[in-house]
Amino acid sequence: MADKPLRTDKPRVAIFDFTGCEGCELNQLNFEDQLLDILAHVDIVEWREAMDGHADEYDIAFVEGCLSTPDCIKRIHDIRRRTKVLVALGACAVTGGVNAVKNTRPIEDVREEVYGDDKYLFPTLPALPVSSVVKVDYNVRGCPMTQIEFLRLFTALVMGKDFVEPDQSVCVECKLRENECVFEKGMICLGPVTRAGCNAHCTTVGQYCTGCRGLVSEPNIKGMEEILVQHGLSVDEAWKRLELYNANQLEGVQR
Amino acid sequence: MAQFFLATDRVADFVAHLMAQKPVFAPHPKGRRSYAFALTEQAADVVLDYPRTLHSVKKYFLPPREELLTFDLTANSGAVTEPEPTDAVFLGVHSYDLAAVHRLDFSFGHGNPERNYLTRRQGALFIGVSFAPDRFHFSGSVGIDPYDMTGCDAFLTKLDDGWVLDVLTAEGEALMDGFDLEPFTGTKPPRGHFTQHIYVPQAKLGDIMKRSHDHEVWAETADDCVGCGTCNLVCPTCYCFDVQEHVDVTVTQGSRERSWDGCMLRGFSEVAGGEVFREERAARQRHRVMRKFLYISAETGHPWCVGCGRCTQACTAGISIVDIVNRLVGDAERTAVAPV
Repeated sequence: MADKPLRTDKPRVAIFDFTGCEGCELNQLNFEDQLLDILAHVDIVEWREAMDGHADEYDIAFVEGCLSTPDCIKRIHDIRRRTKVLVALGACAVTGGVNAVKNTRPIEDVREEVYGDDKYLFPTLPALPVSSVVKVDYNVRGCPMTQIEFLRLFTALVMGKDFVEPDQSVCVECKLRENECVFEKGMICLGPVTRAGCNAHCTTVGQYCTGCRGLVSEPNIKGMEEILVQHGLSVDEAWKRLELYNANQLEGVQR
Repeated sequence: MAQFFLATDRVADFVAHLMAQKPVFAPHPKGRRSYAFALTEQAADVVLDYPRTLHSVKKYFLPPREELLTFDLTANSGAVTEPEPTDAVFLGVHSYDLAAVHRLDFSFGHGNPERNYLTRRQGALFIGVSFAPDRFHFSGSVGIDPYDMTGCDAFLTKLDDGWVLDVLTAEGEALMDGFDLEPFTGTKPPRGHFTQHIYVPQAKLGDIMKRSHDHEVWAETADDCVGCGTCNLVCPTCYCFDVQEHVDVTVTQGSRERSWDGCMLRGFSEVAGGEVFREERAARQRHRVMRKFLYISAETGHPWCVGCGRCTQACTAGISIVDIVNRLVGDAERTAVAPV
């Protein structure tokens, strides 16, 4: 085994990607002001996107992307065995993300559409969140993953403290910033049922919330559907909006 | 005290005169169709004729996010962050928002006086302004008139061609020093009518609330409510907050911060061990309304709702606190037993 790291006091960190766009990993490299501080506290022992090398065990594994093939399942079990802490990084890993939109259709139709006659060469599964297969200790939500939340989790892990996920709506952070309500501008917003932690980034710069950080823990979906319909969407359009990032969480919810 | 006439074309001069003396916080346009209090940089930006601001002036005395202290983990030391007195003119405050400040003065001044709020509150001068009630205002139902000047150092009442300026205190008089205006000799126009009303006198509301603990309106409202917490966060008399500590990425420096919180949020009532003592949205809605019309009112004799209409306007689900209260009033009167 090459490059086996020396044991140090610093946590050994490994970063893995599954089915996703790798934007969350790229977002880690985007920590231009903080990257050196981050690296001062950890040893990165495996990260395909940024370095060579392979490690046998690690203290913290960041996992990006959803699980969508039988091979993904084998790899995630392997990573779970080698790591002490497993962090799901970004919407795909936490909820299945946009990939899970495919779960709203029969899987055979999806395979046919993507691979045509070769579909039997590519075994596929519904797009699953990492937590549906192995134990996930912490989530960093968002599409791409929310940088400020990553830093909060990172400092907590380095200090050996627990990290508590926010469980309130994006509206809370939006109101703390005294933004004009997105609905007041004539747009549709999923902020009322979407989990905060992004400091209302999109709504503050004039966009609407697409729900990329997933739903709050006890969402009133019927109530949210009614809000969207009252603001001009059809029930189908409302559900398409809600399912964009939350198809797995909404599976089986009554329309 | 004295009454003057401030013509529309002199308003900007008036604002500039104030700005030469103290920082002036006043309503400015924000977004597509909203208004917000902001520090005035250009006198011409100030809007005095506005329906309501996104947040009340509460945000200057109880900031949405506020650093309480900083600490250094390597030196094992900490320092309390000292709040500063505001010492500014608040221009264009509606009567209900000033009434809300007086309620907060009670909440933060009684029992354990709260240093940060009370320090920030020092030196604040208020120039009120009349408002024309829109379809959300109902302050008349909680005893707050659009022309109510209580607590103001000066007050502007809208005319067709300008404003009546009432100078009410010595501080208000000092602000006007060197700004010449003609005395106002006419009569003020009648105040605008409210279209929203609570259909019962304040004195009866407490009793009705006491009898409404098990009313079906709470569960029915909870079907529409998504629990986003907006109604709490826009309320000028809500004062609950959460306190959290953050450590920066060097893992040496950190701060303790408090930020607005609200009883409509599930996490608000979550305590050690994971127990949530108001698990149902219906119970949270009931608590919010009772806090405005029963719990604190029973202690102080005043409703803790000031009728600004923000919670109703801001609710994307269209939940109206006036409708909730009137439903309780109507049912209480229908089932009332005549005195023997």
